Amino acid sequence: MTVAESPPLVPPGRNLPEELARRFEAIVFDWDGTAVPDRKADASQVRDLVEQLSRAGLHLAVVTGTHVGNVDGQLRARPSGPGLLYLCLNRGSEVYRVGLDGAELVFRRQATSEEDAALDAAAAATVAALAARGVRAAVVSQRLNRRKVDLIPEPEWADPPKARIAELLAAVEGRLRQAGLDGLRDAVAIAEGAATAAGLPAAKVTSDAKHVEIGLTDKADSARWVLAELWGLGVAASQVLVAGDEFGPLGGIPGSDSYLLLGDATAFSVGREPTGTPPGVVAFPGGPDAFAGVLEDQLARRRARELPQLVDDERWSVTVRGFDPERERAHAALLTLADGVIGTSGSPVGEHAAARPRVLAAGVYAGAGAESELPLCPVWTRLDGELPEPLWFERRLDLRTGTLRQRLGRNGEVDALLFSSLARPGTPVLRARGLPELLESDRPLSAVESGIEDGVVDGVEWARAQAGDGGVVAAARDRLEGGVLDRFAAYVVDATAAPDPEDAVDLVAGARLAGFDGLLGEHRARWAQRWHTADVVIEGDDELQRLVRFALFHLMSSAADTGEAAVGARGLSGPAYRGHVFWDSDVFVLPFLAATHPPAARAMLEYRLRRLDAARANAARLGRAGARFPWESAASGADVTPSHAFDQAGRDVPIRTGELEEHIVADVAWAASFYVDWTDDSAFAHGPGRELLVETARYWASRIRRDAVGRAHIDRVIGPDEYHEPVDDNAFTNVMARWNLRHAAAVAAGAVAEDERRLWQELADRLVDGFDPATQIYEQFAGFHRLEPLVVADLARRPFAADLLLGHERVARAQVVKQADVLMLHHLVPEEVAAGSLEANLSHYEPRTAHGSSLSPAIHAALFARARRLGAALDALKLSCRLDVDDLTGTTSGGVHLATMGGVWQALVFGFAGVRATPRRLTVDPVLPDAWDALEVRLSFRGFPVRIRIEHDAIAVDADPKVPVSVLGTRHRVFSKGA
Amino acid sequence: MKKVIAALDNSAAAATVLATAQKLGSVFGAEIDAVHVGEDGDRIAAAAAAAAGLELRRLEGDVVPALAGAAAKEDAVVLVVGARGLPSGRELGSTALEVITSQPKPVVVVPPDAERPGRLERVLVPLEGTPLTSLAPKTLIQLADDAQIEVVVLHVHDEATLPLFTDQPQHEADAWREEFVARYCPWGIGSVRVDVRVGRREEEILRAAAEAKADLIAIGWAQKLAAGRAPIVHELLERGRTPVLLIPLRLPSQRQSRARRSSWISLQSSPA
Repeated sequence: MTVAESPPLVPPGRNLPEELARRFEAIVFDWDGTAVPDRKADASQVRDLVEQLSRAGLHLAVVTGTHVGNVDGQLRARPSGPGLLYLCLNRGSEVYRVGLDGAELVFRRQATSEEDAALDAAAAATVAALAARGVRAAVVSQRLNRRKVDLIPEPEWADPPKARIAELLAAVEGRLRQAGLDGLRDAVAIAEGAATAAGLPAAKVTSDAKHVEIGLTDKADSARWVLAELWGLGVAASQVLVAGDEFGPLGGIPGSDSYLLLGDATAFSVGREPTGTPPGVVAFPGGPDAFAGVLEDQLARRRARELPQLVDDERWSVTVRGFDPERERAHAALLTLADGVIGTSGSPVGEHAAARPRVLAAGVYAGAGAESELPLCPVWTRLDGELPEPLWFERRLDLRTGTLRQRLGRNGEVDALLFSSLARPGTPVLRARGLPELLESDRPLSAVESGIEDGVVDGVEWARAQAGDGGVVAAARDRLEGGVLDRFAAYVVDATAAPDPEDAVDLVAGARLAGFDGLLGEHRARWAQRWHTADVVIEGDDELQRLVRFALFHLMSSAADTGEAAVGARGLSGPAYRGHVFWDSDVFVLPFLAATHPPAARAMLEYRLRRLDAARANAARLGRAGARFPWESAASGADVTPSHAFDQAGRDVPIRTGELEEHIVADVAWAASFYVDWTDDSAFAHGPGRELLVETARYWASRIRRDAVGRAHIDRVIGPDEYHEPVDDNAFTNVMARWNLRHAAAVAAGAVAEDERRLWQELADRLVDGFDPATQIYEQFAGFHRLEPLVVADLARRPFAADLLLGHERVARAQVVKQADVLMLHHLVPEEVAAGSLEANLSHYEPRTAHGSSLSPAIHAALFARARRLGAALDALKLSCRLDVDDLTGTTSGGVHLATMGGVWQALVFGFAGVRATPRRLTVDPVLPDAWDALEVRLSFRGFPVRIRIEHDAIAVDADPKVPVSVLGTRHRVFSKGA
Repeated sequence: MKKVIAALDNSAAAATVLATAQKLGSVFGAEIDAVHVGEDGDRIAAAAAAAAGLELRRLEGDVVPALAGAAAKEDAVVLVVGARGLPSGRELGSTALEVITSQPKPVVVVPPDAERPGRLERVLVPLEGTPLTSLAPKTLIQLADDAQIEVVVLHVHDEATLPLFTDQPQHEADAWREEFVARYCPWGIGSVRVDVRVGRREEEILRAAAEAKADLIAIGWAQKLAAGRAPIVHELLERGRTPVLLIPLRLPSQRQSRARRSSWISLQSSPA
């Protein structure tokens, strides 16, 4: 740890209004009159500050009416970043990004020739109308997308400085009033009329007192662009500071900087504001000097290593206040920070006996067989100080930026920000301010398990946990200075060989070089990118909105997007289920990633592909062909399902899922096909994806038994309804196998022998599925209808664990279903079941379903939505969303239920929005509950972002024209404008 | 030195009470104070004490206040009494009843037919799954760790407390048990064995005690034995053959209870 004395910094906030005396993440400012006195002034001071602030990670945007030559020529800043500098020019029509190599155009609104002609006509008509009233005016320039009419083309007012604005206004108003006009207001009205007459009813007409300008854009367009850009960098409007000098009205028309007042940004004026500073704008008169003072203050705050302000938006955050020893471990799991490589519990940074801080790494397993489990890695979040009691404590997880704020003590005893970089997975960062005795730590890494090696390289501590043939090595370094602790850590995970500590030490050095603000900036920008194609917006229910984003947050953070991604049942949020990979991963989690961030879905498929040989060996061991994937998978791909367990009723029960729950084979194939449908990844489809489909089809072909009359059967399996085992001809298994055979036959033309393809097709056609055309009901398995006709909906309030309440034997004898089984077919492969059979099967099976699996409610939410039973759909959705936050299983401490979260997304996107990807297009068939005002889903389809907004009387599809989207039904208005 | 007060009556139960007190004494590192109160003679009690190498201390006055006085001493850690009135009808004796409902200190009630093995090896701790009841046996169990006593924590589910979901029992149950121990066994000991059952609590506790061959059942209670209250304690004392350690609980007032809840804000609400 580096400990140094506090640097001699100027105390931030000196002489500033209270509203400005805090750290902002971006500054948007007017140029002439705000940053510089006039266009000829020396801008070296503001240049220097801009470049320093950029280095410190602050984003800056100049918003002005002039062109790039003027502003860039005067500012001449060449910022190195990581903070970005934008020049938003020509009154909203252009944006340049400025870097070390100069200004680069990133956006331009280009008028059509018709629009240009209309602007010319409007300007000429304005001059003519004024002349008709006796006012001499002149079109002085043709700027990009606008025309400027000089209202006072007199030599003495040729180029008035900003300081003479009041005199100028009086002169112009006097001139207009002499002609019988009501000042500037009338001049603007004349120009607006002329623009409308010229065919530009939406023209933006503004005035700076000397001119009236008619344009296609204005500064509000710049402000909107900047705020959207900043949002895309993970900066919320409430973290933006807006500076100008003309917010108040001028001659009865809005001040030119009033157009910058958007969103929750804090605005201040350094101008004289002759008509007063408008409400909501902080008055800080003093011109460019005052503005420079604010920049200096922001720089001082960065140098003093202030933490960013919290964004107070409950739709984007989860807050745990207080410290509840009973629920602490569940809270810590909920607040997990993960980056796809490591996951860190949101435990308090201080010590507490009830806390269990932990770090888990993906894809490495200690132990063997059923005992294989995720090893507990060295922990980077611990400070040595003990939490004082009683204590005021608050933890807030910002879902939008993947940051966790921990505040301990009302007087700021400890204020810490933690994140695990999504831009550099495996690189977690902590900054904490507060009492030195609480911040000091002997070591930046703490081990929660014995047997961890450790050492020091170049002053950086490292610790290594062995796991199987590989392991995890962590390195970290502290810097405690001026009451602020910065901790940079790095984890290197290798499942095949013990990772080298020097690799982690090098990563720590890289992180330190980037600095806290640099790392934070790239991290939150990466999160913002992920949300751009993944967010689901529910308008009309803020609490549900928050819970849905909470689910998406965990889904996004649980899978790596390079290499292979082993996504266990609880992701990286806890050790329960030992990190084993189930169908949860392929069927519940992967669809979300395939439709929002395909590289992560591809990495999950890579996990299966790299274990294809193990699946082949498993099939061969059973005397079968092809590949049989295991019910539970860990490092090698061999089955790691335990053979027995004591259940929660204390009964010793044999576990036969490893032996019999074979639908996992088709589930893996289905996941590969789903990925292809959404991404059109032809390299995968014609390479490893096809191999997966072929090998799984070969397994089914060798697994199927034909009876004397030629019908095909699959005997002795367990379906998703694990209350019944073993069963013959489970509808889910058989239909998924049928889908697998047919799909493989379709994609393998030319790749496998024709005889084999024909065999698959024949077997698929002969597989029994239990469907009764008379009732439209699929029998869940052979003999299900003959079981005791127990309707659990009449028996107990659901959900309930029927196996615990009634006993295994009783549920096995009865028509009690654990979770969607037949109905899972209507959800996953609706094209493989009889058209129109959803309602009959939903009405039959749902009342018989105990929902004793956490996977069940979300899938039923989707099914109810498809069946237009929106009340039931909403109830099931809300239950799914609350599963972990209310710890309904009593096991959230062991990690969040990732598959349920994936089910929540599927309920919203497949169920309510009715989105499906086919090999040809995206189809949308939405239903919207009355309780919601709108549902908006963001997706990535075939490499293009797609936004679908569903309101009660309209649907908007915002996508690239190359994206084929069909909206079913005709009562909705549909438009597509290109994302 | 700490003392275990063994209240010996003049009945055959005296030897059982004393044996239980001695087992506890070795756990607590306490000496045995064998006492007798009453006018019904002390021959059997004295003989039992003598057989154990102890001298019987005779207390004056009414039984309950006298025992209360002995137990109130600072060095007294636990009072051991016999469940008089047994076995006829197996109703709890009035003396034992008064003692257990009035004592601020833990009391062990020993059935006359309790078995008397050599040392205390296994304690059954039924837990309801609330922090308050789980803290009751804390002291005993902390000592148990040093004394190498096996602690079996028993949780009996009924319909209302059963988990709603059992995804994969081979993992779910382990995760549930681990968290149950973390929540309700925060005693600073390395590990306990958790026994989970479904059914009627009284029945399952008795069954578990028998199956585990528990030497002692330790349970927290509110010391209220009026009709309908403490049915579990009632049945354990009336039907069981295992000594029961009753640890008085100080129940929080409703106001305190509310204050506790409101200071731990759940995710459902985030008031300013």
